[in-house]
Amino acid sequence: MAAEPTVYEVFRREKPGAPMTHAGSVGAPSPDLALIYAREIFGRRGESDALWIAPRSAFQLLDDQDILRPVLDRSHRTVEGYRMRDKREQLLSQLETKR
Amino acid sequence: MALETPPATQERDHTRAALAELLLALADDEFVTGYANSEWTGIAPILEEDIAFSSLAQDELGHARLFYELLAELRGGAVSPDEIAYDRPPEGFRNAQLAERPRGDWAYSVSRQFLYDTADYVRLECLLGSRYTPLAQAAASVIREERYHLLHAHTWLARLAAGDTARERQHAAFTALWPDALGLFEPLPGEAALVESGIQPAPSAALCQRWLEQIEPMLRQLGLPWPFAQRAAGWEPLLAPHYGGRAGRHSREFAQLYDTITSVRRLEPGAQW
Repeated sequence: MAAEPTVYEVFRREKPGAPMTHAGSVGAPSPDLALIYAREIFGRRGESDALWIAPRSAFQLLDDQDILRPVLDRSHRTVEGYRMRDKREQLLSQLETKR
Repeated sequence: MALETPPATQERDHTRAALAELLLALADDEFVTGYANSEWTGIAPILEEDIAFSSLAQDELGHARLFYELLAELRGGAVSPDEIAYDRPPEGFRNAQLAERPRGDWAYSVSRQFLYDTADYVRLECLLGSRYTPLAQAAASVIREERYHLLHAHTWLARLAAGDTARERQHAAFTALWPDALGLFEPLPGEAALVESGIQPAPSAALCQRWLEQIEPMLRQLGLPWPFAQRAAGWEPLLAPHYGGRAGRHSREFAQLYDTITSVRRLEPGAQW
């Protein structure tokens, strides 16, 4: 038996079709118990339709800002048009609800 | 002029009384088990388990409430579920003695949870077919929550069996638990009427056999104590079951537990809380 419980990251889905979002983490001495504890903390009140549970150590971390946010301006590569489309749709739906 | 009660009415009253006893046995098992397990709140081995085991305990109390409500309805609403739960003398309780033992060590408590919840599941499965519709409906709701209890029970059963000290303690727990666990299937005084009327579709002895058949493979695979001999009629216990709970006879330990459970309520009988 491990002396220290392993940390497991838990992701939850609110309803079918919704994206998995990070819910939090649980400590557990085995994967079976991690499942039970995840259910207990993130799924006992009917708030989740599915859970993903994985040991934290299974995740690779990438947080190097030089890699994630290059210094040079490359805005010509981004698809700004999509942002405008989303903004337009949001405004239209707001108008719709006001009516 | 003295009128004799017609036999049909007598029979109906007898069945009704037996049904009340059954509801009480179901409710009291859940109530006392729920209380006993709640004693782990705040002291379980790790925080997550503390939450999990407390939540199981709370589920059992919820199930108890459901069965007390059915009983209150059966009695025409003259008593409330709370009055049934808390305002009885100790001999009014119909729980099996298994539920009332002190929590012991962790191995004892989770092994008890295993034996209790696997047995409870068999009982509820049977009651899904009860001809008393409110009971069949209650069993259908309760059994869905019990599936999670089984997951917890099986996980800990395997986990303790894989340890060293844990395994020794688990063995000791099962040895101590068997006579009490068999007491869960002590027939109620009015069982014949319950089976006859279809309120309880199968007799307790048959349910006990079903339960033993279900748990036998895993317990024997893990090398846990299995004090039964195989006979043509099924598994025959090699030890005497602890009966008495279904008739209101309880262990000395129950007196203290009863005292704790009713202590707040007794401070001011009849008070509005």
